Amino acid sequence: MKEKLQELYSRAITDIEQVNDFNSLQNVRNTYLSKKSELNGLMSKMRDLSPDERASFGQLINKIKSELTEKIENKRKEVEEKELQEKLMKEVIDFTEPNTTFKKGSKHPFNAVVDQVCEIFIGMGYNIAEGPEVELDHFNFELLNVPKDHPARDMQDTFFIDENHLMRSQTSPVQAHVMLSKNGEGPIKIISPGKVYRRDDDATHSHQFGQIEGLVIDKNVNMGNLLSTLELFARSMFGEKREVRMRSSYFPFTEPSVEADISCFECGGKGCSLCKGTGWIEILGAGMVHPHVLEMCGFDTKEYQGFAFGIGIERVGMLKYGIDDIRRFYTNDIRFNKQFDKE
Amino acid sequence: MLASYNLLKRFVDLDGISPESAADKLTFAGLEVEGIEHLASGTNLVIGQILSVENHPNSDHLHVLKVDEGEKFGVHQIVCGAPNVRVGLKVIVARNGAKLDALGVTIKPSVIRGVESDGMCCSLVELGVNKMFLKEEQINGIEELSEDAPVGEENVLGYLNLDDTILDINVLANRSDALAIFSLAKELGALFERKVNIPQPTKFEEVPSSVTVGSETEDCKQFSIKVVRGVKTKPSPKWLQSFLMAQGIRSINNIVDIGNYIMILTGQPIHMYDMDKCQSSSFIVKKGYNSSLVALDQKEYKVDENDIVVTNNNEIVCLAGIMGCESVAVDENSVNIGIESANFKGATVRRTTVKTGLSSDSSAHFIKGINPYQDEFVLDLTASLLKELADAQVIETSSRYNEIGTNNIQISCSKSYINKRLGTSFDLDLIKSILEKLFIKVVTINDDEFIAFPPDHRIDLRCDADLSEEIIRYVGFGAIKSILPMMPTTTGGYSLAQKKKNKVRDFLLNNGVNEALTYTLINPKNVPSFVLLNNDEPYVIMNPMTIDHSVVRKGIVYSLLEAVKFNLDHQQKDLAFFEISEVITKENDYQELAIILSGKRSIRGEINKVDYNFFDAHGILCEILNILGIEPSRYKEERLIDSCYYHPGRSVKLIVNGKDVAGVCGEIHPNYQKEYGPCYVVNLNLDLLFAMKTPSTKMNQISKFPAVTRDLSLVVSTDVLVGDIIKTIKKTGRNIVQKVDVFDVYQGEHLGQGLKSIAVSITYQDSSKTLKDDEINEVEQNLIALLAKTYKAELRK
Repeated sequence: MKEKLQELYSRAITDIEQVNDFNSLQNVRNTYLSKKSELNGLMSKMRDLSPDERASFGQLINKIKSELTEKIENKRKEVEEKELQEKLMKEVIDFTEPNTTFKKGSKHPFNAVVDQVCEIFIGMGYNIAEGPEVELDHFNFELLNVPKDHPARDMQDTFFIDENHLMRSQTSPVQAHVMLSKNGEGPIKIISPGKVYRRDDDATHSHQFGQIEGLVIDKNVNMGNLLSTLELFARSMFGEKREVRMRSSYFPFTEPSVEADISCFECGGKGCSLCKGTGWIEILGAGMVHPHVLEMCGFDTKEYQGFAFGIGIERVGMLKYGIDDIRRFYTNDIRFNKQFDKE
Repeated sequence: MLASYNLLKRFVDLDGISPESAADKLTFAGLEVEGIEHLASGTNLVIGQILSVENHPNSDHLHVLKVDEGEKFGVHQIVCGAPNVRVGLKVIVARNGAKLDALGVTIKPSVIRGVESDGMCCSLVELGVNKMFLKEEQINGIEELSEDAPVGEENVLGYLNLDDTILDINVLANRSDALAIFSLAKELGALFERKVNIPQPTKFEEVPSSVTVGSETEDCKQFSIKVVRGVKTKPSPKWLQSFLMAQGIRSINNIVDIGNYIMILTGQPIHMYDMDKCQSSSFIVKKGYNSSLVALDQKEYKVDENDIVVTNNNEIVCLAGIMGCESVAVDENSVNIGIESANFKGATVRRTTVKTGLSSDSSAHFIKGINPYQDEFVLDLTASLLKELADAQVIETSSRYNEIGTNNIQISCSKSYINKRLGTSFDLDLIKSILEKLFIKVVTINDDEFIAFPPDHRIDLRCDADLSEEIIRYVGFGAIKSILPMMPTTTGGYSLAQKKKNKVRDFLLNNGVNEALTYTLINPKNVPSFVLLNNDEPYVIMNPMTIDHSVVRKGIVYSLLEAVKFNLDHQQKDLAFFEISEVITKENDYQELAIILSGKRSIRGEINKVDYNFFDAHGILCEILNILGIEPSRYKEERLIDSCYYHPGRSVKLIVNGKDVAGVCGEIHPNYQKEYGPCYVVNLNLDLLFAMKTPSTKMNQISKFPAVTRDLSLVVSTDVLVGDIIKTIKKTGRNIVQKVDVFDVYQGEHLGQGLKSIAVSITYQDSSKTLKDDEINEVEQNLIALLAKTYKAELRK
């Protein structure tokens, strides 16, 4: 009988191993473990055995029964897993098909520059001041040390509305507004981005363009502070290694006045087409606020000094993004505008 | 300002200093050299003489020349196409290896139509001389050198006075003195610590002046005339012609050239009168004339009471500082000349040039400002040149009117001030020595304070800050140490309104709307288009460049529509644009937002796209109001039925503060869709919205008790607004109605004409207990009754 049992066991194991699907597995289970199975048949013959044999035979048959049960259960899991896998593989998708649209809009490069500059100066404790684009002659010129018929007016060909009103030709009048609002009390730390207008139109000049004015007034503000501030700006905007150099220049409302160049970020100063071989790129105008301007705007020049600077927004954008023509800023060709969605 | 390097060398020792290094120094000192050019250029040149001329066998215009190039180089055969070749002519030869920059070539021996040619005979054009200085025959043929030209001379450019380098200097408004070669020479002398040598005019024996001068206007405080008799008009000597050429001026004759030369050297414009054409010996400067004059250019100009004029016997003889009159003009027959050196007020001269459209080198100098202390020097220098170059016989003393006096400008300053301004630590000796190198006299008061006396020509130096600039531009800005400002801490950042603007921008960008930037100045015919947020008068530009940019726009929508059109015209569709810009009119100044949606919105690439519609635009509008914290109770919307720009059935206006139109939202009118296609617009006055009260954010308790959702399907007339139904439901069931969601709106054949069905799902919940069915039933029944009463709403079966 034992031999028969062993033979039955081996046959069952072989059958289980060969099973590949649920139905076959069910058949195997019926064959070996149901009431009508051979195993049950053998159990019913147990009473023909001697008590001793019966005990050991009983143990053996129980062991085989539980082993087969376990093996069938494992096989069931295996078959189930396999069938699930087959089912899932039928659900495969092409992950390269077009996605659901989650498209960010593009900042305009003009405002991308403004945002970056504001962020740099806010980090240094500056506020953002604003002023009107239609301005009084008094603010655009006279308070900035450019009286009527002063030759410096010819430096900026201005759009006039009437004798007193004009399209501001620079963001500098915001300096005067801010200073006057402070009633002679420092400190002042502002930048003022905005649009300005001049009678000029070609690949590098647009009749409308942007400037960012900067103004710092306090009791001990000097030219070294200006240099350092410009260096910080240049490095944040154009890279850690940028150097700033200043050249003497002229603006009616600053004295001394300088043009500031930064070392070329394309070639590092060796000379290339971007910097026209000089290693330097002209980036902004600056200077110490002229004592007349401080006085006219209500500050005591014995107590207060300050510096001011003006940055061309498109100029920075053209350099930073390699934009070839200032008019691109105003065409709103979506093929251009949408290139700035990472800014 | 063009500056001949050879001319500068006459007045300052520039030995061993290249034009490039001079340019570099000047640039950093504030006189930016924008270009360095050569009057002429060419290497391997020699003066030759044509020994023979034969016709070229294979050409009807080429000649074969034998040219003697002197002992060192011998005779060479040259094929030449110039019409003016002849035996004996002395010519410029570019030899083998000669580089001619103007042509961009290097001369090599070659075979021209079968004949060997070794070298080239040159015209001045081929050496790079500007055609404006040359005669017709000089342009069309090779240069004909004079008979005494030395054959074999290799320094050809030097022989021709053409070996000059020209600095092109961008003179800014403060340094008008640098428009004079003498001042530039002083500047270079200071920068390189070299000797400056400004010539003093030879003093001649003078006879008393035959004229009287005066001024009756504050705008002319100095006016002098010197009469020189017996001058002879003839060509200027070569050296003067060359200097003028280098300065960009064509030589006319000795008299005219001397006038130009004096202005180039001294910066003082001078004018000359033919004394024999003047009716009187009295010259008075006046204002207050209302007449006209014929100027040297033979054109007539109107003169009004604000223009300064020079009068002779009450006749206008000169539009002061700008141009003289034809009637008293010096010509080649003039013998007795009155030279005028004056100082006219720049502002007045500027106004006259702007008004008349007439300007000259002279007016440009007056406008920028001239040295007012040098009239005698200028007149004496002019007289001595007239003597030297125009055979002047008699020189009269200068007749002078001078209310300016002599230079007594003093500037009090101190070492500590300079260092405080620059952030430096220069000592007084250094400051003093620098200022003195710049011709500024210094008298020290103690070890800190000093008084500075600027030289006559530096009319820009008037205050202590000016001196700080002199010091630092001389030392170089490299001397400044970079130190961040030490000052009270300030809380930087955006203002509340700026933060709100950024919030709106970020929202739009993050939802796929692209930022645009359009022009503020537009064509007047487009000014009213799509402007609904103000009824103001626009600002109009007095001096526009073109009509297209001549009026300040009153709104952004039109400009943005044009941007859409530009893109549609370039095959770019499905556009979402916004712009935030200042709108400024005679009455208002505010920030406006415009959004335009055109074409389709992509749900999934190109696979699934849907047309933009009103609810896209309106959805954006409502979410902007939400993120700005403007609660629905603070605004209302009304249909916009009376605008020609918007679809009357598909647009609304936003009203805040009970009456202010803060925005418009809708589909553009079909009349405009022909041009722009279907576009949906949001247009807001941001300043109005930013100024509105907003509640602070506070947490609401989340109810622990279960919510119950029940649906209602209502049939109402089509003119009942869904929004009103929702409002009513919320209001009526305030305590327990948590949420009302519309999940279907239907209009069509299953309903009667003029009816629509609205299906809403209402969520009931109480914060303190579990709601029982009959409590909900009661509220629901009340709702149904109220909706029936208010909107004639029936439950849909």
